[in-house]
Amino acid sequence: MTLTAHRKGTDSGAPSEIPIRHIPERKNRVAFVILLVVCAILFLPVLWLFLTSLKSPQQLASDPITWIPTPPQVQNFIEATTALPFWAYAANSLFLSTVCGALTTISSALVGYGFARLNGRGKKVLFGILIAMMMTPPIITLIPTYLLFAKIGLVGTYWPWVLWGIAGAPYLIFLYRQFFAQLPRELEEAAILDGCGRLRIFVQIFLPLSKPVIITAFVLSFNGVWGDFIAPQLLLNQDNTTLAVAITSGYVNKAGFPVNNLLAAGAILYVIPVLIMFFFVQRSYVRGFATSGMK
Amino acid sequence: MSAHVGTQSLVGDARRRRRRGVNGGSGAFYAFISPWLIGTVLLTLFPLGYALWISFTNWDGISPSQNWIGLENYADALAEPQMWASLQRTGLLAIAIVPVTICGGLGLALLLNEKVHWRSGLRMLVYLPAIVPPVAATLTWKLLFDRDSGAINGFLAIFGADAVSWMTGNTVFIVLIVVMLWGIGAGVLINLAALQDVPAELHEAARLDGANAFAAFWHVTLPSISPVLLFQVITTTIGVLQTFVPALLLSPANGAAAITAVPEANRIFMVDVYAQYFAYSRYGYASAMLWLFFLAILVVTVITFKVSGRTVFYAVDPSEEGKKK
Repeated sequence: MTLTAHRKGTDSGAPSEIPIRHIPERKNRVAFVILLVVCAILFLPVLWLFLTSLKSPQQLASDPITWIPTPPQVQNFIEATTALPFWAYAANSLFLSTVCGALTTISSALVGYGFARLNGRGKKVLFGILIAMMMTPPIITLIPTYLLFAKIGLVGTYWPWVLWGIAGAPYLIFLYRQFFAQLPRELEEAAILDGCGRLRIFVQIFLPLSKPVIITAFVLSFNGVWGDFIAPQLLLNQDNTTLAVAITSGYVNKAGFPVNNLLAAGAILYVIPVLIMFFFVQRSYVRGFATSGMK
Repeated sequence: MSAHVGTQSLVGDARRRRRRGVNGGSGAFYAFISPWLIGTVLLTLFPLGYALWISFTNWDGISPSQNWIGLENYADALAEPQMWASLQRTGLLAIAIVPVTICGGLGLALLLNEKVHWRSGLRMLVYLPAIVPPVAATLTWKLLFDRDSGAINGFLAIFGADAVSWMTGNTVFIVLIVVMLWGIGAGVLINLAALQDVPAELHEAARLDGANAFAAFWHVTLPSISPVLLFQVITTTIGVLQTFVPALLLSPANGAAAITAVPEANRIFMVDVYAQYFAYSRYGYASAMLWLFFLAILVVTVITFKVSGRTVFYAVDPSEEGKKK
């Protein structure tokens, strides 16, 4: 029993260790119970969001409060998409997130490759600036950027997201750089001797190796734009704004008070794409962090 | 003189040629980083400079002209009790959130690093709130803390408590803290990756030396993952200091009226800045606040880096190894 597999090095490899796998692994019960409690607490708000989204106006106003709505008002989800032009806003969000996310993913990879694999005058200083940019709160530059964009007529258009996408994101550049930096030197040496250009080396050798990071970068930047409230609030107008802005002010009755059941249903519909996206790519996402994360 | 220049350029040529070897010349480097470089100049440095210029004027955002008033806005800001009050609230928010988030995130990662049932499922659940966009997270807690239909008051009512108006008065600050603590799992993935990187031999050695679990954690695990923790302390602190959207959305009003309706207790620094710009049209003053904030964050970051010695963020760089110039 003292020889069971709670030593890290022993669970893979030599055939003599195979029998060990048949002895049930000792699980840490205390850790399990604590985690279960924490997860329950963290999940309760989501549960409440669901319960609220299924209530009728009467159940919302009842005293004492209604815990479980019976029957569940599933039609709230349909009403949530008709009480405001939900799908139009969702299309705006999808468009902006996809375009900006894709551009950010590509340009951050290029820049990350440059910092990891190429040399140039002033590289150290520039890398220092990159780290400083990572630490700079985006809202500090957003407000003056908005004032400037207003002057040149970019407010109310989607161009700012294209520009932000092309410029890349410091955090993702850093992520790519860490990943590219630890790949062996031999990768490009042979290609250079063959007379391969830098761009071809990048596209044909490095990009195919970096799938997990690419996925991580796209998910992070897509979710970043999808979840952003303040940039669309400042830069877009009521017709072309995103879902994030629309749901915060769209579900109100004539007196201006929020309609909580529709608000809850709308919020759930708004979050679902983010969750689906995350859970689909969870494994490469975690791998992207593990192989190139903040180490 | 001309000979001198000649040799210099020859030396320069040789050096350039040598450097070109595997890593290419400056040209390729600049070509690859140009999107970011140009973007940074146009979309970060230029706006920052623009804000700096506004901060020296009395611009109201509407008038076509403005006067240069030097450092007056900065003097005003530093003499303004409301600025200090909002700064104090922001500091309080950081004190309430950063230690809990860092320690809690590490604790959860340590638990998830154990052999437990449903490990990947639990890991996903811990991480779930951290990926919920801030808008949805804030709305969710707003529903929970709702005076009439919220679960919190419903739960308290079971014990005969009166309904609490969480969203007005000082209690809204508690709601803000709760919203932000919900994302406690954000660091779990990074922490787990760091924990799995701690060499197993070190733990083995500690065990053979008779170290108990706590001693092993304190002397082996913690020093190995400290760079990751330091990084999180900095980013979490900066993240909390710039908090804006949750505070704005917890306001009882919607749309343009929301900013001025933010309860006093939630008037943190960025709320104040935003209100000065867009509710009170004090663009010069607000820009000065923005710059003071920027400088403060710069100073905090530099101090943290210096105090903690050499930071280990970017240890690997094959392009530089063996060619210390």
